[in-house]
Amino acid sequence: MAADAQQISQRIPGEKSSLPAIVLVAGWLIPGLGHLMLGKWVRALLLFISIAGMFLIGLGLQGKIYQPGTGDILDILGFAAQLGLGLLCGLAHWVGWGASSAVNTLADFGTKFIVIGGLLNYMAAVDAHSLANGRKASL
Amino acid sequence: MTLSHFSAVLLCSLFVSVVFGITMRAEPKMMIRFGAYCFVCFVGAVIVASWVMYAIKH
Repeated sequence: MAADAQQISQRIPGEKSSLPAIVLVAGWLIPGLGHLMLGKWVRALLLFISIAGMFLIGLGLQGKIYQPGTGDILDILGFAAQLGLGLLCGLAHWVGWGASSAVNTLADFGTKFIVIGGLLNYMAAVDAHSLANGRKASL
Repeated sequence: MTLSHFSAVLLCSLFVSVVFGITMRAEPKMMIRFGAYCFVCFVGAVIVASWVMYAIKH
């Protein structure tokens, strides 16, 4: 794994490889997995704890899980943001976690926690992609 | 699960600051500094906004 990380840090920017795309998708599906594939396990662990923590706190506060196809622009935006959680979002839809509407202030906070968690995971996945393709220095 | 407004702010600020620190900086030392800076800014902005709202109401 350390040898892979060394190899990744020396990759020439713009070089053709499928690794950045794989890392991007992996980081989106499971928070921190992209960084873990690059050998950055401390960052991967911190990202996983932070993003999964946002998701779990949001669920604990009875936050709303947005459904696709309602036609409401705010619902579409909320769904797009929560989709950033990858498999966690799919699991919430599949198992039926979360509320269908935010009924009080704390539930509204919970909804925001889940939305922000999704947006943060987009950032983390893109960061892993940038590390893999050499656009960001791998220190 | 119940959280006070302030504890919700602290948790959200902590998690967001960790992700911002990791994604916005390349060097580990700078990640910690930027993460701490973001956390202080988030919590400080909330405290200032709270006092502004208190002053407006009273």
